[in-house]
Amino acid sequence: MAENRHVTLKLEGVSKSFAKVENDEVTHALNNVDLTMESGEFISLVGPSGCGKSTILRLVAGLIPPTTGKITVNGQEVTKPSPERGMVFQKPTLFPWLTVEKNIAFSLQMQGKLKGNEDKVERMLKTIGLEDFRDDYPGQLSGGMAQRVALVRTLINEPEILTLDEPLGALDAFTRMNMQDEILNIWRQKKQLAVMVTHDVDEAIYMGTRVIVMEANPGRIVADIPIPDEYPRDRSSQTFVEYRNRILNKLHYGGKHQ
Amino acid sequence: MKTIFSQPLDSRSGKPSPEQTAQLDNLTRQQLKELEEKEKTPLQKALDLVIVLLPLVCSVVAMLEYQLIPNYTANKKPMTYLCLLVLLAVIYGLYLLFSLVKRGKGDRTVFDKVRYKAPLYSALFLFLALYDYLTLKTGILMYPFVPHLNAILNIAWEDRAYLIECTLHTLRLLFLGYFIGVALGLVTGITCGYSQKVRYWVTPIIKFLGPIPTSTWIPIIMVIASSLFGGAVFIIALGSWFAVTVASMTGISNVDKDYFEAAKTLGASERQLVFRVAIPHAMPSILQGCTQAMSSACTAIMIAEMMGVKAGLGWYMTWAKAWASYDKMFAALFVICFIFTVVTKALDLIKKRALRWQNGVVK
Repeated sequence: MAENRHVTLKLEGVSKSFAKVENDEVTHALNNVDLTMESGEFISLVGPSGCGKSTILRLVAGLIPPTTGKITVNGQEVTKPSPERGMVFQKPTLFPWLTVEKNIAFSLQMQGKLKGNEDKVERMLKTIGLEDFRDDYPGQLSGGMAQRVALVRTLINEPEILTLDEPLGALDAFTRMNMQDEILNIWRQKKQLAVMVTHDVDEAIYMGTRVIVMEANPGRIVADIPIPDEYPRDRSSQTFVEYRNRILNKLHYGGKHQ
Repeated sequence: MKTIFSQPLDSRSGKPSPEQTAQLDNLTRQQLKELEEKEKTPLQKALDLVIVLLPLVCSVVAMLEYQLIPNYTANKKPMTYLCLLVLLAVIYGLYLLFSLVKRGKGDRTVFDKVRYKAPLYSALFLFLALYDYLTLKTGILMYPFVPHLNAILNIAWEDRAYLIECTLHTLRLLFLGYFIGVALGLVTGITCGYSQKVRYWVTPIIKFLGPIPTSTWIPIIMVIASSLFGGAVFIIALGSWFAVTVASMTGISNVDKDYFEAAKTLGASERQLVFRVAIPHAMPSILQGCTQAMSSACTAIMIAEMMGVKAGLGWYMTWAKAWASYDKMFAALFVICFIFTVVTKALDLIKKRALRWQNGVVK
């Protein structure tokens, strides 16, 4: 597998506001956010709902334009979506009319790259261990299986930036822990830049090399905490608990260990 | 296939033996269904057998009714109807035999289907007998206004050349109009669903033309169209166009925005968003529109043929009525009924095939 090029993703003075549907008011989802991220990092974005963490991802993916400021990848401004910036959504959003195999191959097919790359599809199926389900339709899969397929459907492009919008939010606790490790394994092989939104502080610490803590009204970054610890991390270790307390304090949910 | 669990469970541990788990792994869907179903009692099994034989019994009843009860009116060439009854009974008999052989080999699906449909088939034979009794045998329903089946069959056979010609004409008109309408409907519906600009111009037309029943157009078309055939095609196409346009428009505009976003991040172009995401997603709704279009086309063609077009089955019926040959009218009615059933059934099959992915969805 070819190494991805080194990328620097920069958000400079980015604000994003949305007009409300019901009245003339405007909500400020993001207010003047500056953030720099590099290949090899795993960024966890945590914060209460409405703090604009998903908005950051959608801006990076190029699905929406910023109101002010700019987003650049190695100096080039992001204007539209690209398979180079793959995104995994909270809902698997698999195409229900395509089989598992065809869902995974979808992206290559859209770009006209499927010919000669069938082995990639095969490898992706193997990565998630769903070879036996290749001819099944998404409607027949469990939530965890569907989200795995969605993950490799994005990964097949070997994106230099992988954005994950609460990808494990809808899964049960056990599937969730398994998939945290699976995602980490995939990321550690390729060392691309991964940006994940989560509302689970433990997940953020367990997976991220950096945890960005955000707050709402208006959405802004309140803390940027590097987690240099080795993988795999121990959820019950002293340092882990310290990180958790620090982040929860930032979010004003601090316990007694202040 | 009940043999799978014929070995007793291991008496001490209660776990299935290794051979049993191996068999469980290779279970097919049908076998699973049979395993989980309650075993039928001998009484139920016997009842099943009686029910599948019932259509044959009823067919014999119909034959005896026809043969034994004296006729009220004259009945020329009496063997035709009897042949039909025998033919139907034989077809059913062969079908039943086939299902029994299959069941003997362990495949119960066909037999279950026969068992499911048997009461309906029985009712059909009894209905034929009843109809024959009311017309030919007692004259409660008066000849020639309500002809008995033997007369209808005979006249259909005698007049077969003209009847076939009319049938072909109807089919040609139906499919020509239907396909033109569906094709145009797909184009307008899909572009409207996807492009706001096109929708701006087309929606008023649909809103204005939509509520007008297709038949309203017929007198106008008959006056202004240069050829009656072309006019009829236009009317049928208009009805189908309307149904398909509305259905595909709603289908496309209801596509979940998440799918578009996912497809965009996966590198789909605008064109691909339409053809690879929007259209497949709207397929159930589009096919629903096609079915509706067919029923509207069937209505429109009959009205068109009865009112103006001088060929086809609708024309045959009005023409037969004008000559007071009611048996011909009924013969045409049966042909129409048959054609429409076949066409609807075919559409259904296409729909099922195209929407395979909707089956077995775990909710």
